[in-house]
Amino acid sequence: MALIFGWPLLRYAWLSGHADSVLTGLVPVANGGANWLRLLSDQRFWVDALQTARFGVVSVGIELILAMAIALLLDQRWRGRGAVRALTLMPWALPTTMMALGWRWIFNTPYGPIEQLAGSLGAGPLNLLSAPSLTWLVTVLADVWKTTPFIALILLAGLQTIPDDLYGAFRLEGGTSVQALRRITLPLLTPYILLSLLFRLAQAFGVFDLIQVLTGGGPAGSTESLALYAYLNAMRFLDFGYSATVMLGGFVLLMALIGLGALILRLSGLIRPLQT
Amino acid sequence: MRNALRCLVAVLSTVFVLAGFAWSSGNRLTPVPVSILMPAPFADASKELVNRFNREHQGKIELTINRGPLETESISDLAISSLLLGDAPFDALMMDVTWLPKYVAAGWLEPLDRWFDSSDSEQLVQGARLGNRFENHLYRWPLVADVGVLYWRTDLMDVPPSTPDQLRSVALNLVQSSRVANGFVWQGRQYEGLSCDFVEVLHGFGGAWMSADQASTTLDTPAAKKAAAWLDSLIRDGASPRAVTNYAETESLQAFKAGDAAMMRNWPYAWAELQKPDSAVRGKVGITLMPAEQGEKPAATLGSWGISLLRESPHPEETVEAIRFLTSETSQRERFLDYGYTPTAEALFTDPELLAVSSALPDVRRALNHAVPRPPTPIYAQLSDVLQRQLNGLFTSGGSATETMDEAQIRSETLIRSAGGMA
Amino acid sequence: MTLELRSINKRFGDRDVLRNLDLSVADGECVALLGPSGCGKSTALRLIAGLDDPDQGSISINGENVVAIPAERRRVGMVFQSYALFPHLNVRKNLELGLRIRGSRAAERDERISNILEVLQLQNQAEQLPSQLSGGQRQRVALARALLRDPLVYLLDEPMSNLDAQLREELRPELKRLMIGGSQPVVYVTHDQQEAMALADRIALMRNGRIEQIGTPQELYHRPETVVVAQFIGRPQMNLLKPQNGVMVGIRPEDIRLDQQGVSCRLLSREWHGASQMLLVESERGPLRIVCAGDQTISEQIQVNWERSDEHQFDLDSGRRLSD
Repeated sequence: MALIFGWPLLRYAWLSGHADSVLTGLVPVANGGANWLRLLSDQRFWVDALQTARFGVVSVGIELILAMAIALLLDQRWRGRGAVRALTLMPWALPTTMMALGWRWIFNTPYGPIEQLAGSLGAGPLNLLSAPSLTWLVTVLADVWKTTPFIALILLAGLQTIPDDLYGAFRLEGGTSVQALRRITLPLLTPYILLSLLFRLAQAFGVFDLIQVLTGGGPAGSTESLALYAYLNAMRFLDFGYSATVMLGGFVLLMALIGLGALILRLSGLIRPLQT
Repeated sequence: MRNALRCLVAVLSTVFVLAGFAWSSGNRLTPVPVSILMPAPFADASKELVNRFNREHQGKIELTINRGPLETESISDLAISSLLLGDAPFDALMMDVTWLPKYVAAGWLEPLDRWFDSSDSEQLVQGARLGNRFENHLYRWPLVADVGVLYWRTDLMDVPPSTPDQLRSVALNLVQSSRVANGFVWQGRQYEGLSCDFVEVLHGFGGAWMSADQASTTLDTPAAKKAAAWLDSLIRDGASPRAVTNYAETESLQAFKAGDAAMMRNWPYAWAELQKPDSAVRGKVGITLMPAEQGEKPAATLGSWGISLLRESPHPEETVEAIRFLTSETSQRERFLDYGYTPTAEALFTDPELLAVSSALPDVRRALNHAVPRPPTPIYAQLSDVLQRQLNGLFTSGGSATETMDEAQIRSETLIRSAGGMA
Repeated sequence: MTLELRSINKRFGDRDVLRNLDLSVADGECVALLGPSGCGKSTALRLIAGLDDPDQGSISINGENVVAIPAERRRVGMVFQSYALFPHLNVRKNLELGLRIRGSRAAERDERISNILEVLQLQNQAEQLPSQLSGGQRQRVALARALLRDPLVYLLDEPMSNLDAQLREELRPELKRLMIGGSQPVVYVTHDQQEAMALADRIALMRNGRIEQIGTPQELYHRPETVVVAQFIGRPQMNLLKPQNGVMVGIRPEDIRLDQQGVSCRLLSREWHGASQMLLVESERGPLRIVCAGDQTISEQIQVNWERSDEHQFDLDSGRRLSD
């Protein structure tokens, strides 16, 4: 495991200390900390970092809340639950690029259904993919649509490890089902929530193909993510040294964000030590 | 005794089989394999040609086309990934015009000067001669010609506009009199297409992306600022819908084909689409050059695909033979007649058989004679990225054209400086 | 305080789990619901607790129909087979949670919890999580939680089935001391007839969603109303002789004695239990189980006999007891 995850990181770390681009004929030449100095003063890197964090935190937040609701619903016994469970997973099974193309069409002006609906309501063309202050919300929407089912699945698996008897016992102690959610379900689900939070946050930080296809990073760079920026540097600009630096810089920021999150959770006492 | 005989037979037959292999390989009966990576549509359009080539070269060359992805960017990703791994599984590569300097600088391409000379070039239409050379060497031989053109509706206007002012007022009039939903659709999305559109407008206003000596960018000139301001004004005034700021070629074509636009900037491939039965503007479309101010030469951004020989190819002679075949006049004729791909041979533009299929051919040829390449530099992708972001920012976030282009110039210069000047 | 179930019916899907069940449990009385798994005994318990609703019938506690009252307001103390302790809370917080929800004051809570911990000898485990406790300790926490509920009725759902035999025997007196014999009715669900006989005032033997017979352990032992009851109560199982003239005769192994004048039998096997031994023999009346003194010497061929009055006669078709 350490080798599988460690090797690329080591490779990036090594590359980030080198100039390796068309200008060097793709031969790595050690350039000290030049790439890192450039990163620190690269406004675009920091803007993209903020945009990526905004995308990650907002999507994962919405996804968790929605997924929780879906998981609770799917955990109940009702007719047709099996079919709905299978259907819910559909978006997740769809390839991201196909899904992104679908959303691009849905938000197409003037032919997509969103604009058609807005038009019939007399709301005029919305041009949601051309509004730097709003387009990122469309990328959030697409991401939420795609990955909520995945989180719901993890949470559902968690819910099913909670024995029914616990709810029975809680009710007999005088608790209502709303209280049970807070006192029984959430605490017992905490490891699953943290797991999906961590997993999804890492994934959202690497968001690439969704944005590449849906907006191409536009309008005016307002949806560009760090992964897209790293991709541009590597595959378009053939600047592998700087691309590795961007990627590694993003990784460091992600670790910092997760560390900060863990600290806040610990301080607020949301993580209770769970011994098995 | 019997066992001994059996052994002998077995040994002898093995020797014969091995000798047979040795003999056949010594006589080169196995053909030389040649493979070329192409985007999916080109690969599909080459099937018949490849079969014919392999029949004609039976036993000598076996050509296979690697069917790559559909999108230009995806095929570039695939090519670069395989080239980075060292031993590329192809001998040649279908190349977009803008990749050439970058690939040459990366050391991936083999010059073609040994095989193609000026007599070959003279067969080509003007627009197809551009974008194949870098640093005084030929690195690509064109397969299809491609330039940006202006499509206009013959049912909405008698003659197409020839100046930017005309285009804007025609579009505005048509929209304001509700004769059409949108005036002029083009490619305003933050991607390479926006740079292409801008090059045409820029030249129409008498500007250029690079200085004459190709040493620096000239994006802060009055012409460049006028060009940016004009495109911006189209959106602000309503001559173009705001949605063009997220339009690529597909979206523009969709709108124009549905009859929802009076004019469209696009590539010649759109012509065949517009003549299909499901097109609302079938038979009502003309092709012309993008507008230019009085006294300025109209420009058509050079697109075009060609084939480049990879340095790592173990069989350059055979590969070039395949390139020659695929780019021959006969092959071009077939590709045009069967799939509508614009030819590169000058002679074909006046060929009655081709003209009978597409009446737009003379207009495309005229545009090809006005072809303008994008800056041929290894850092083109970075320069274009700066321009796209600046322009798309102007259209979607407001601001002034002057500031936008000043900023584009500053950022471009920084890029050029950190690259140690232009290659 | 009394508990009364009247004409309870309950279906799950197309399966009748309880059919027309009547049961009354008096003040301080302990009734065991005894039967094989799937007989409906646990369902009956969940209906009383309010965790499931009956399709028909009424459930009254102290004369008040509680069917419409949700579980959280029914005041029922229940011990689950799985104990259902909250795994994320330590023992103290497990006990505290209910008191807190029901709004008892902090000082009162602390006092009651430390009392109950002392009674159940759990003082040293107060800060431990359920996963750190032994089976017996978990069971005692579950008992403590039910006791703190101040319930009107105690419901015990196989509370000892997860414990080993020795622990069970140790815990039985404790259970009796704490819950059984107070003023509350106790319903005790078990599939272990020995446990039922040891703890319950009356046993309701259930089969296929119905009560086959209800009565004191002695009644069920001495006068089983059906073959099923006769076979379920008493170990080793009652012998059923080959039916004659539509009558099935049952005789308990402990009622058979060795007798030279009796029926001839061939010994098939014997199990020695110390004070007693169990013989399996083949006779003309069919195979027989016999219990006799542990020091008795046994040969291959023996003769046995029993009192006519110890015979239980059942109708072959209905399995019902024929009056004697």
